[in-house]
Order: sequence, then structure tokens, then C-alpha cells
Amino acid sequence: MSGQTGERVIFAILGVPMLICMLIFSWILSLLLTGIGSVRWELLTVSALQGGMFEMIVGTIYLLLGATAIAGPVGILAAIYLVEYAPSRGLTRIIDQAINNLAGVPSIVIGLFGYTFFCRHLRLGVSLTAGWLTLALMMLPIIIRGSEEALRMVPASFKEAALALGATRWKAISSTTLPAAAPGVVTSVILGIARVAGETAAILFTSCVLITRGLPRSPLEPVMALSYNLFVKIVALGTPAQKVFGVALVLFMIVTSLSLSAILLRIHYRKGQPWLMIR
Amino acid sequence: MVNDKIDIRNLNVWFRDNHVLKDVSFKIRENAVTAIMGPSGCGKTTLIRAINRMNDLIYGCRTSGDVYIDGHNIYDGNINVYELRRKVGMVFQKPNPFPKSIYENVAFGPRIHKVASGRELDEIVERSLREAALWDEVKDRLHDNAFNLSGGQQQRLCIARALAVKPEIILMDEPCSALDPAATAKIEALIRRLSKKYTVIVVTHNLQQAARISDFTAFLYMGKLIEYGDTKSVFENPHSELTEKYITGKFG
Repeated sequence: MSGQTGERVIFAILGVPMLICMLIFSWILSLLLTGIGSVRWELLTVSALQGGMFEMIVGTIYLLLGATAIAGPVGILAAIYLVEYAPSRGLTRIIDQAINNLAGVPSIVIGLFGYTFFCRHLRLGVSLTAGWLTLALMMLPIIIRGSEEALRMVPASFKEAALALGATRWKAISSTTLPAAAPGVVTSVILGIARVAGETAAILFTSCVLITRGLPRSPLEPVMALSYNLFVKIVALGTPAQKVFGVALVLFMIVTSLSLSAILLRIHYRKGQPWLMIR
Repeated sequence: MVNDKIDIRNLNVWFRDNHVLKDVSFKIRENAVTAIMGPSGCGKTTLIRAINRMNDLIYGCRTSGDVYIDGHNIYDGNINVYELRRKVGMVFQKPNPFPKSIYENVAFGPRIHKVASGRELDEIVERSLREAALWDEVKDRLHDNAFNLSGGQQQRLCIARALAVKPEIILMDEPCSALDPAATAKIEALIRRLSKKYTVIVVTHNLQQAARISDFTAFLYMGKLIEYGDTKSVFENPHSELTEKYITGKFG
């Protein structure tokens, strides 16, 4: 009898936080649903000079694409090095720890670093390029850690079999370990993108302005972004929140769809890779 | 004409401070089955991994001494280790097919060595699968995932994969330890057949298996080669008391 009571108590303790989360989530959802009707979708393609969001959306996408193009290859190659080539375990552990710390650095600090180093020291100014590099810094730890994990999940026996057939180390890795780790690696890249998609602080001083005349014509020009626009309108210009709701919603949808595509991609890749199920 | 294919001289292997193989010297006969037996941890696996230099890949491993294959010292500085591993195939303890189709598993070796493509590659795949006694079971589903095969079939696939690059020597590291008796019997029969064409070295801790399938037997104990000779004489009148104790089941 007392065992049953204990079980009920535990159930309540575990269930209540869950219930709270559900309530908050459904409140956000209802807010979104009521808001969607009042958003003027035609503004998506109208220039900001006419009160639209076009440059902000494209600017956000530019920032994400560029940062991914930098952080993706660098992060994946670094992970391959750390897992497959790094000479000593001790060194790898120190680097891993440093990467963990990098992941925990607040984005405003990274933004400040980006400003002093990329904008001032490297003389890139407030530009797309400076934003790319700063965002890439934020993505790197996520991509490296995620890819490392994915590479370590692949049974060593695949690589061993390839090596025993006379494959070079790179051939063995690229033809057995990498394809098997691909789903996890891709997921880590998308998680990296999702991490910075809504980022404001990192691009605050490094690459954004409130308004531009059209899209940036070169990577050394500043850019508009949804998150920055929200921040400035509310904090500096004191715009009422409901006026920028459309911008917030579009940003929310971009971030959510990125996370969702990461999940879908992982599900897709996991099919036909039974050893992932075994683990 | 009987030839020695491999000549191992004063082979020593250390893993960091652990002296795993101690001054092992013996010659391995061409086109015969040589069994290497001994209790767990005696260095059997390390010994065969010294023959295709897979030990090199282990961090902290150091090797001294020489291993001659056809008169060439494979520990010479100028040896091409990838070519060596093509010549010396290996089958592992647990079947480890690639997560690819049956066909792609066998074609992997010829592909990376760029020796064949198209029709020629198809022929190599078929020949290798036939040689590994697997062709009849898989010929209608070559493009199925290799993971769908049974354990014994997977192991024969791994043998076919090793055969596809036309090795001269095949190293087998307890190839039956993860298999049931029926699958084991098939692999054992296969090993006997393969020895007509290849030099086969089988690590086993199963004494009956060593007696059944091998022409020569080496007995390792704590990193030292205790006894080596033709299987019949090793089992029927061993020189060393240690060997006798081992084969009569007094330890191990």
C-alpha cells in the first residue's frame, strides 16, 4: 500500500513539471495561431524601405549560409582530425575541453570579440564577412562536438576491415567511417545553424545595420537581419511589440524549420543503418 | 615442392611497457593451414597482426625483429604497407561486413586498388563468392544489405571480400568464435579448401579445431613460442611439458 503511495508521489513529481512545460508551450502556440492571421504575408517580399521584410530575410539567410560555409568544413575536418588522426589522447582531451568552454561563452562576448578582432583588428568593418566569421565561431563547437560523437559511434571494425584490405588511412576513413557517420555529421551542422539562426548579440556590432538600400553588394558591406531588427526596434526605438510580431514570427519559423529538418534528416539517414539501432 | 612462405625471426612486440611477443621465430609453410593456439592473452592475435603490420596502427606499439614474406623483409623501411596488406588478407574474430550491399562488400578491395571495373569486377565478385562457398546462397540478392545475412554467411562474405584482392596469405583471427557449430563446420571446410591455393594462418583457442583443420601448429604461451611442428606430432607427442599440459586441458 505504501509502495503504491510512493509510486503516486513520484509520478506527481515527474508529471507536474511536464504539465507546466505543456501549458507554456500551448500558450506560445495559441499566441502564434492568433498572430498568424494578423501578419501581412505580402510584406515578406517587400523592401524594408517600403516597410517590408525582404532584405532582413535575405540578410538572415546570407548570414547563415556564409557562416555555415565556413564553420561546416572547418568543424567537420577538425572533428575528423580529433577522432582519427590526433596523436595523443591527452592532447585531444585538452582540445575537447577547450571546445566545451567555447560552446559556453555567451554570444555577447563572442560578438565583442568579433568586433575587436574581425572588424577592427582585421579591418573588415561592420560587414557580412565579419558576421560570418563571428557566427562561425559560435557554430564551431557544436559542429565539432556533434561530428566527433557521430564519428566515434561508427564501429572501428569497418575501418579495420578496410585497412586490412590495403586501404590507406584516409581511404578507409572516407569510404567506411564517414558515410556511416554522415547522418550525425549533417545533424550537427544543422544544429549549429539552428544555434545561430536567431542570434542577435554576435551580429549586433559585427555586421548589422537597421536599414540598407537594397541587398549588400559585396561581402564587405553591412546587412539587415530579422533578429537585429527586432532588437533595435524594441530596445532603441521603443516600437510596441505587436508591431514587430511579424518579424518575430518569421524568425521563429526559420529557426523551427531548421531544427525540424535536422530531425527529419536524421530519421531519413538512420534507415538502413542497423548498427545505429543496436547502440 | 614445399616452400616456406613466411619466415619470422626474433619477433618482439611491445604495447607501451607490455612485452607481448618475446623473441618468436618460426617458418610458415606455403599452401598449408597453420594454426596458432594458446590461452587468452598469449599474443596469438598480436602475432598474426604482425604479419600484415596491423599492429602499426595501435598507438604505443613497438616491433623489433624481422618477418620475411617470399624473402622480403616486411619491416624494411621501403616496403609498401598497403601493397603488403593486399597480399596478406585478414578475417576478423567477429564478422565485420561493411554496411553496404553484398556486392559492394566484395568489390571494395578491387575498387580501392583500382584493379577492375564493370564486367571484370562482376567476375571478380562472383569468383570470390564462389571461392568462399557463398555464391549459391546470395547470387539472387547481391544488392541486398550484407547485414541481412546470418552470422556464418557474413563471415564467409568477409572471407570473399579478402579473396577479392587476390591475396597470397590469409590471416584468420578466431574466425569461428562468434559462430554456431553448423556455421563453424562450413568455415572449417572452407579453410581446408582454401589452403590448396593460399597460405592460411588461423588463430584459435579451440584445440579440436586446431587439430581438425591445420597442417602445422604453433603453441604460444605468455608471448613465447613454446612449440611448433606438424599438427599430428604436436598433438601426439609434444616436446614441451607445457604443450602437453595445455592440450590435455590441465590449464588454459
